[in-house]
Amino acid sequence: MTRTPSTIPEYLDQLRVALAGADPALIQDALYDAEEYLRSEMAENPGKSEAEVIASVAGSYGAPEEVADIYRDTEVTVNKALRPPPRPPRRSLLGGFFGVIADPRAYAALFYMLLSLATGIFYFTWVVAGASMSAGLAVLIIGIPFVILFFGSVRVLSLVEGRLVEVMLGERMPRRPLYADRGKPWMQRIVDMFIDPRTWSTMLYFLAMLPLGIAYFTLVVTLIAVSLAFVAAPLAVWFFGADAGISVDGWQLLNIHDDIVTTSLYPWSLPLLFVCGILLLFATLHLARGIGKLHGLFAKHLLVKSAAY
Amino acid sequence: MTDTDLQLKKFQKELSAGTVSLTLLAVLARAGEPMYGYQIAKQLERFGEGVLSGKQSALYPVLRNLEASGLLDSHVEPSVAGPPRRYYRITAQGSDVLREWAAAWRATRDSVDSVLEGLIP
Repeated sequence: MTRTPSTIPEYLDQLRVALAGADPALIQDALYDAEEYLRSEMAENPGKSEAEVIASVAGSYGAPEEVADIYRDTEVTVNKALRPPPRPPRRSLLGGFFGVIADPRAYAALFYMLLSLATGIFYFTWVVAGASMSAGLAVLIIGIPFVILFFGSVRVLSLVEGRLVEVMLGERMPRRPLYADRGKPWMQRIVDMFIDPRTWSTMLYFLAMLPLGIAYFTLVVTLIAVSLAFVAAPLAVWFFGADAGISVDGWQLLNIHDDIVTTSLYPWSLPLLFVCGILLLFATLHLARGIGKLHGLFAKHLLVKSAAY
Repeated sequence: MTDTDLQLKKFQKELSAGTVSLTLLAVLARAGEPMYGYQIAKQLERFGEGVLSGKQSALYPVLRNLEASGLLDSHVEPSVAGPPRRYYRITAQGSDVLREWAAAWRATRDSVDSVLEGLIP
């Protein structure tokens, strides 16, 4: 049993220690909630000292250790009660491979990969423009507020990207901004923002999102286009009177010229192509789900983990 | 702590797992205006021990989860006294769910009561 805290920062420190090892996103939320409660209690009882308020809070809100236990428990049980239960994993190998078609996570990840081209360009531009303008304006008096605004904006963007990652990739991310010690003077809080490794790792993440976004987008578009063409060519020959085994302007998987559709493939290979196309489509969904999972871990590491105390 | 106390504590915890969500929705539906976490906690305190058989810190994760499931809506407002406060409001979907949950609760309460009736305390 640790001694009773007498100030708000001390209470939060003990809570942080008690939560050590829990999901960093959960720690961030728990600290935010506790601070809100403690400061509201302070505001309601202006006559009392900080130590008195915290002593009374141990009864109503809970001592740091109790709060830590509640967060570990409640998050899990309430989440389970409010969300639809996950489907049981398919047992057979075949079911595991084809079951991906019914997994919303795979489609969400696919969509995230397409979207990441747009968000990647935006984040990259924001960080590069912000950083270079900060450097350029540093010699002028307006440089200082500009730098502070820019760093603040990066934190907000980090929260936004965290929401995207949690909704689409299913990785638990913080739902509240990083706990900022409101007891400290303004200058100290600004300095804290600059020496916080998370600010810098967030910028690194945003820079990496441009190449990653381009790679994800290209991968998804290419794989989907190829597998759809593989499926479409045999269907066009079997049902819509397209001609097989014809080469116009070289070998072509599917050629649409005026109103004539042809493929260079020979009729005997079409069933094989059809099966390959279907398999590739499923494999793409698996790949998207896998990349989504990895990217979620990557985002968590750079956007949240480095702040774990 | 005796064995009976432990059993009681465990039972209370299991009971509150479902009722906390129900009471939070009800408090917000009755209020008719957005409320923040501390306000809700104090309001529940007024209703007595039974509603929340634990610490008030248990409310916050539940509020957040209710919001994530679309039953509550929230926005942040700056405050003079402390950190910006997050105000919660019940959504239309939340009101529908509350109606169903309340009916389920009443049915459960009635049948549990009738089973317990005539039992020596």
